[in-house]
Amino acid sequence: MISLRNVDKSFSKQPVIQSVTLSIEQGEIHGIIGASGAGKSTLLRLMNLLERPDAGIVEFDGTDLTTLPKQKLRNVRQEMGMIFQDFHLVANKTVEQNIAVSLDLAGVKKKDRIARIEECLQFVGLANFSGKYPAELSGGQKQRVAIARALANRPRVLLCDEPTSSLDPSTTSEILRVLQTINQTLGVTIVIVSHEMNVIQSICRRVTIMEDGRIRKTVATEPTGVTEIESDAGWFLTQLTERGETHA
Amino acid sequence: MPEILITYAAEIRLAIGQTFVMVGLSILAAILLGLPLGTLLFLSRKDQLLANRWLFSALNLLVNTIRSFPFLLLVVFLIPFTRLIIGTAIGTAAATVPLAIIAIAHYSRLVEQSLLDVPKGIIEAAVSMGASTRAVVMKFLFVEARSGLVLGLTTSIVSFISYSTIMGVVGGGGIGDFAVRYGYQQFQTELMLYMILIMVILVQMIQFAGTTVARLLDKR
Repeated sequence: MISLRNVDKSFSKQPVIQSVTLSIEQGEIHGIIGASGAGKSTLLRLMNLLERPDAGIVEFDGTDLTTLPKQKLRNVRQEMGMIFQDFHLVANKTVEQNIAVSLDLAGVKKKDRIARIEECLQFVGLANFSGKYPAELSGGQKQRVAIARALANRPRVLLCDEPTSSLDPSTTSEILRVLQTINQTLGVTIVIVSHEMNVIQSICRRVTIMEDGRIRKTVATEPTGVTEIESDAGWFLTQLTERGETHA
Repeated sequence: MPEILITYAAEIRLAIGQTFVMVGLSILAAILLGLPLGTLLFLSRKDQLLANRWLFSALNLLVNTIRSFPFLLLVVFLIPFTRLIIGTAIGTAAATVPLAIIAIAHYSRLVEQSLLDVPKGIIEAAVSMGASTRAVVMKFLFVEARSGLVLGLTTSIVSFISYSTIMGVVGGGGIGDFAVRYGYQQFQTELMLYMILIMVILVQMIQFAGTTVARLLDKR
């Protein structure tokens, strides 16, 4: 569904992604894990071209996004919802208005918006929250609103950039359950970037491990998965500790 | 009502009217041209949506240059330009030209700063939703920055009122000019003090209104 081929990306001559080839299959929940600075967020942002690759191809459903004209690219982005670590809701808009703007951008008519907004809020379990401002919500609720906003245009893919890293453990599992439901009932393909192994382990079917801008390995958690994942998790955690020390 | 104010009632009314015209048109210029200019300054910055080093440097230099002119010299310097677009360099309409130009430069800088206060992630989220640059500005940036934009405009208006007081040099009139000619130059200190009082009250009211509106708009 999404495929990156030999993708390179540098920031001010510092390579962040180096000849990465990766394909995300339709309907899967795909995890991307790695230490900070491994390039996992950049990899995610390359998928909807928030970052443009310096070289290589980014395909969505067989269309090369790097050559698309602006308007077409915007339309493709509406088929790919995205959520973030810090939610990025517009604080001066109510919950309802935050979702409405996404529908507005996709050209959904005003009279059709209300029903869609209610449907989305219902889905994330925030049915009576439409008039509230983000400042009145908890972190978990904000992330649910962000999810509702990302779902409003019925995307086929949901890109999640550290979706639970600002949340406490119990809220984290709530959000992960919501993501899992989205995948199972709506058939939305999900890509999750995280540095938390338990997050990745609990819902992902395949996991890509990043190191220094390269893919170290992509492993399946099904059907034999769990043991293999755990050994790799062990490796990952060692890496994480080592890095922590060198940076400290 | 003090007798001296009654004696000069007609002149005072005229002066207040002139101040309102000059400041009012400056506010209009600030909103219609300063807001887009400030937005462009912001968008052309490094790593922003329309990042363009040359455009940013050019606009930045222009705004800085205008703002660093001592205002009295800007008025004199602009006389040929004013004559070109208004037909005369004298009078209230002519006085509005330099005032509008400083207004645009002044407010554009405050707009840029307000937009810099918007968390960058909001722009990113907007782009990920398929927003065009225009939509990012109108539906996200201006919404999130709105109380800063109002406070900035309030600060600007107070400055415009201050700038407007020297417009007597090109026959622009206004409260400041009246205070100098009738109060100071004719040794009617009392009259001058009343004019200062009017200015103080005016500024208080504007600041109060601006702060209130900004507070009501701020849901962050």
